[in-house]
Amino acid sequence: MADTAPTALESRRRVVFGESDVADFDDQDLPTEVMPLMMGPSHPAMHGTVRIALEVEGEKIKTADIQIGYLHRCFEKEAEHATWTQIFPYTDRLNYVSPMLNNVGYALAVEKLLDLEDKIPERAQYIRVIVGEISRITDHLTCLAAGAMELGAFTVFFYLIKGREWLWELLEEVSGARLTHSYVRIGGVVADLPEGWAARLREVLGKVRVAIGDADKLLTRNKIFRDRMDGVGVIDKADVAGWGLTGPIARSTGVPYDVRKDHPYLVYDRFDFDVPVGSTGDNFDRYLVRLEEISQSMRILDQALTKIPAGPIIVDDPRVALPQKRETYNTIEAMIAHFKLIMDGLHVPPGEIYSFTEGGNGELGFYIVSNGTGRPWKCRVRPPCFANLAVLTKVLPGLFIADVVPTFGMINMIGGECDR
Amino acid sequence: MAKIVLDKLIERFAGGEILETGSQHGNEWARVVPSAWRQVAEFLRDEPALHMNMFVDLTCVDRQPAEPRFDVVLHLYSIEKKYRVRLMAGVPEKQASIATLVPVWPGANWFEREAFDMYGVRFEGHPDLRRILMYQEFQGHPLRKDYPKEKRQPLLRRLPGSV
Amino acid sequence: MVTETSATAENVTVIVDGKEHKFPKGTNLLEACQSVGAKVPFFCYHPGLSSPAVCRQCLVEVKGSPKPVPSCYMTVADKMEVTTNSPKVLDVRRQMLEFTLLNHPIDCPICDKAGECSLQRHYFDWNGRLARNEGVKVRKAKVVDVGKHIVLDQERCILCTRCIRVCNEVAKSPDLTMANRGSHEVLTTAPGHRLDNPYSLNTVDVCPVGALTAKDFRFARRAWEIFSTPSVCPGCATGCSIEVHASRGKIRRLVPRENPAVNKFWMCDEGRFEYKTVHDHRVMLPLVGGKRARLDVAVTEAAKLLRADGGSSPSRVGVVFSAGASNEDDHALLRLAADGLKTERIYVGGRPPGWSDAILVSADKNPNSAAVRAMAPTARTLEDLRADVASGAVTALVVFGNETLVLAKDKLTAVVALASHQGPLLASANVVLPVAVWAEVDGSFTNKDGRVQRIHAAISPPGESQPGWRTICALAGKLGLALDYTDADDVFAEASARHAFLKGAVWGPASQPVQLRFGESRG
Repeated sequence: MADTAPTALESRRRVVFGESDVADFDDQDLPTEVMPLMMGPSHPAMHGTVRIALEVEGEKIKTADIQIGYLHRCFEKEAEHATWTQIFPYTDRLNYVSPMLNNVGYALAVEKLLDLEDKIPERAQYIRVIVGEISRITDHLTCLAAGAMELGAFTVFFYLIKGREWLWELLEEVSGARLTHSYVRIGGVVADLPEGWAARLREVLGKVRVAIGDADKLLTRNKIFRDRMDGVGVIDKADVAGWGLTGPIARSTGVPYDVRKDHPYLVYDRFDFDVPVGSTGDNFDRYLVRLEEISQSMRILDQALTKIPAGPIIVDDPRVALPQKRETYNTIEAMIAHFKLIMDGLHVPPGEIYSFTEGGNGELGFYIVSNGTGRPWKCRVRPPCFANLAVLTKVLPGLFIADVVPTFGMINMIGGECDR
Repeated sequence: MAKIVLDKLIERFAGGEILETGSQHGNEWARVVPSAWRQVAEFLRDEPALHMNMFVDLTCVDRQPAEPRFDVVLHLYSIEKKYRVRLMAGVPEKQASIATLVPVWPGANWFEREAFDMYGVRFEGHPDLRRILMYQEFQGHPLRKDYPKEKRQPLLRRLPGSV
Repeated sequence: MVTETSATAENVTVIVDGKEHKFPKGTNLLEACQSVGAKVPFFCYHPGLSSPAVCRQCLVEVKGSPKPVPSCYMTVADKMEVTTNSPKVLDVRRQMLEFTLLNHPIDCPICDKAGECSLQRHYFDWNGRLARNEGVKVRKAKVVDVGKHIVLDQERCILCTRCIRVCNEVAKSPDLTMANRGSHEVLTTAPGHRLDNPYSLNTVDVCPVGALTAKDFRFARRAWEIFSTPSVCPGCATGCSIEVHASRGKIRRLVPRENPAVNKFWMCDEGRFEYKTVHDHRVMLPLVGGKRARLDVAVTEAAKLLRADGGSSPSRVGVVFSAGASNEDDHALLRLAADGLKTERIYVGGRPPGWSDAILVSADKNPNSAAVRAMAPTARTLEDLRADVASGAVTALVVFGNETLVLAKDKLTAVVALASHQGPLLASANVVLPVAVWAEVDGSFTNKDGRVQRIHAAISPPGESQPGWRTICALAGKLGLALDYTDADDVFAEASARHAFLKGAVWGPASQPVQLRFGESRG
């Protein structure tokens, strides 16, 4: 080696290691011991607060221990001490970027125990689908925006977040809050859509279409983006079943499982929409699947807004739904019903149910055990991103540290849902 | 909805492993003896007529004061056939342990860690059974019915000698 | 309570909702249905009172009967076929509730009974319809002072007459009656009477709605805030079973608990107010020479003072028992007296005797005199104590309770008081050790018939007070007597092994305070 002219690398070595004999060094002598590296929990890319305890050799990851639980707020314990209706605000805070979907999932589970499934008024079902799909769009917009920003595409972040903002304004009109809606109730929803809301929604959807079109143009054929995302974080199709992967993660590997298509609930069977399915299961496929799902959700919304019937928005049973205030103040029956519903909680007959819907991240399940009183005996959430995140313990080893960022971003782990 | 699952289970396990089956609100469920937990799970996964390959959920229910106190609950799904089933196994408080399903479905790893963390049920053979949601020094198992909701356990690290 | 039995006693076969059951002959049909899980709502029926069948809420179908039959009025007959859940019965139930609610005022937000109200519960369980009629309701008197402890709201009354029967049958004092007819019927006091009998507050317990409310509890707490603990009343030697209702660490009221052997379903008014003394004028801190001290310091000082006598024989240390202390406290004190201080000078004091009647009230106003009499038969009275102090036979004292005792301080070298309340005794005490009272400890009382009944802790003892036996344990330790008690049941176990009157008594399971609305004991 000393015979040839010094290469750039050798000059660099000289600078780094001093003037000792360059010939003594070669690639194998660079320090390669395994180094533990803590990513998070206070790390900008560790959304929802998670710590990944990495062991790295140079830039390559040897093992990844994903430590969750930083956002554990005892949802299940609190649910055991709250009445059935009091749990809705807790469900908002599960997957907090698509709260309506959690509300709807939980309401459907309790309604099954009450045998109320077929008695939910049609308008309420359509409204649930509409707000649910809007929530799904905001979920995907957040994921794509954050994912793009972490790779340096700040402009895309702002385009998509602006789109999310318009949608949140609409949801605020309907429920009173941008994020913590608590809009759904057992038996229906709490209030009807405001006047002119449907027209405003269509307008916003048009603007969101433009925004995702722009994001698409900026990212999908962008060399930097593609280099960071293509072939990175590949999840094997064979792993989907073993790891319990669902949602965009599973669909990006080629498994076409979508609860809305395979086990339709509410009025999803009346709509015409496609389920985008990827092929390689890498980060780029997950990005594409989510982008396309936003368009498909907008398709559902267009159809729903056209087909939505008039009618009541909650079931007409004073043992389930609060009576109208006018009656509550003027008749003893409604007063008693109001009293018992709020103080005791509505009486759900003893039983167990596992009810599942398509959440933003996959199959959102509620396993509820009732002992016949106004409070659940157990209210478990089956969080889709809990299973989705677990597969990273297999996927991350072998990747570079820099690959953790897009991979973790495209898994879309929402701390509130994973840790509850 | 998926009665065939229960039928096949009863057919295959005639030695008393299946204690009870039922169907409620469209959910099929079967209660199994804890010692047959892994066997039944593997059968459901591998039986070609059922092919319940997808691991959906694993959790625990504290049935206090009924005995056995803890019910380990497993939900399975067949992507291909669209069948679902719930398996339950009752483990008593004093001997709260059951076989791990990690060799059958790798995804069971984190779910079993959570069941251990929250209820104290041990999973025999689990590669890494430690707490997942709570910090390692936490005492007790919070989702048990006798753990008071208001109890506080702040994690404070004190240097020796400090107040 | 009804138990299904297949014993050789005369049984009849009844088919309830399609399933056959056997009941002893003479069982009330309503009780029979309830006992097999066929729930039937009722207002006017009460297991401890006669059954007038006025509310018609318990109507069920009996085969062979043209009309639905009030189940509270019927006894089971052989081969009877009863249906409690047919559409017709459910409809009739709904109709009865509708009638009852027709003139019921919309008072739930201001009614004490909300949360433990039978009308609310039955409406919610059995009637799922909203009002059909928004007409004007009949107006009656709203806040009628009917007695020393009770306020009547005539509009809320559903005319079930339970209160009238309580006064007639339990208190044997016919103070209440119905007046007028139809929708103007009202509950009122009988001519010349006020609702002043000593069992008047039982009418508040049995009232299914908030028509009769206790002045003491009116607007004090809401039912769903309350936690209920079973215990025994410390008012007199009858020892009625009670529930202690507490919320946020303070007792709000006492109500009777069913006990067929002692008090059936009732308790006297005086006993109900026993809770008032639990929180007032408590001794919360150990005192040495009138100044606050640490507990171990106070106990050491007390032991030192008691030993100062030099162990003369016969011992000149007197031990004063309280007739209001629990069995466990008494036993620990007896061990201290006999084995620790080795004294025979034992006295017992308590509340002075009072009035009694043939219904529930005993003259002995102490809950546990029987235990002291059995454990220390040679115990003498407080008069004897005064004489012994004056003559110099007793120079040091350990006093449990008895805070109203006035002592001649100049004659005594040491007074150790294990006290719960402030009183004249504390002024003459060298060392004061705070003890918990009946509502704060797990223990047992022995009533005048020798029945041993369990009390459970409903609230935590205030300040540094502990159960009496625990303090005695510490004191005995400093005097060289090792008492091996960790929990109250250890004391109980030792006591029942040594004393005949506790033989056969059972400690029973522990009891946590239960939130009232999940306890199913009210409304």
